[in-house]
Amino acid sequence: MAEQLLDQARDIFEGQIDFEGQKLVELLVNISLTLVGAIAFLVGYFLQDIKLAVYIGLAGTAATFLLVVPPWPIYNKNPVKWLPVAGVASPANIVIDETMLR
Amino acid sequence: MYSSLVRLQNTFGFFTTVAFCVALLISASDFLSDRAPTVNVLKTTQLQVVKGRADYYSSKKEEYAIIKFTLDADLSSLFTWNTKQVFAYVTAEWPSAQNNNATNQAVIWDTIITAPSSDHLGNFSPSKLKRLRKSAAGKGIDPSRGKLQIKNQRLKYPLTHPTGKLALTEDVQLKLHYNVQPWVGFLSWDQNQDWGKWKALKNGLSRKFTLPAIKTKEQAKKKTTTGGTRA
Repeated sequence: MAEQLLDQARDIFEGQIDFEGQKLVELLVNISLTLVGAIAFLVGYFLQDIKLAVYIGLAGTAATFLLVVPPWPIYNKNPVKWLPVAGVASPANIVIDETMLR
Repeated sequence: MYSSLVRLQNTFGFFTTVAFCVALLISASDFLSDRAPTVNVLKTTQLQVVKGRADYYSSKKEEYAIIKFTLDADLSSLFTWNTKQVFAYVTAEWPSAQNNNATNQAVIWDTIITAPSSDHLGNFSPSKLKRLRKSAAGKGIDPSRGKLQIKNQRLKYPLTHPTGKLALTEDVQLKLHYNVQPWVGFLSWDQNQDWGKWKALKNGLSRKFTLPAIKTKEQAKKKTTTGGTRA
């Protein structure tokens, strides 16, 4: 019981996502932070208000953190499909590197 | 990007890069704005040299200049979104007597002009802070603060010389200087030549004047307002 709880807590803390999710997160971080920086500079420059630029930059960065750090379900849509455990039931015709396994 | 911690670290790492690039752009945007500071009036209104001591226990008597001046300058073009504050100061300058190419230069008065974005950093009295905030309400920048109009200003710092001699010094000139302190980027001072969109400080020097002789009892009865007025 306690072990299960610990496992759950670790899963939440680690917040693992699948490979497709990681690719998506990387793209999202690059795009959103670059956009936030560009918007902060342009708004600040044209309104001649440096405080506004700082606040836009910080708020946008906080939003990006919120978007990418927690393991949202959309980052776990393509879980890795593992092979069944060997020895329990031999599945027929598994091909690895073009060679048939028995 | 596998676990939350890695995502946190990577995102923060890229954020620092973006923040640095934005700061670079902001400091570069200074070069796109015109700077054309001008001085309309810089003249002395009173000149006097008196003998005095640096402090009560000082055994050496030195000569101190008493100068009053009038300044009317427009530094408003120095204020952009990246200006934190402008430090404006007036120096008295005169060539060294011994022909050794040295120049004597002493600050006689200064002031700090804050931009609205840095009012909270200044060491102001509550009433002045209130006045500043009111004048700049809703404005990111307030160029009107760059307009200096000072009449018959006394020296802020005593003016003397290491030799202790100051009377009858020739070719003394007052000069207005400024130092622009940005939020991000380089400090910049008043220039003697144009540099791109940044023009040199126009008319920043007063006329040359000679400090009077030490006031004696006979002279004290006469009025001592000589020299230093610009046509």
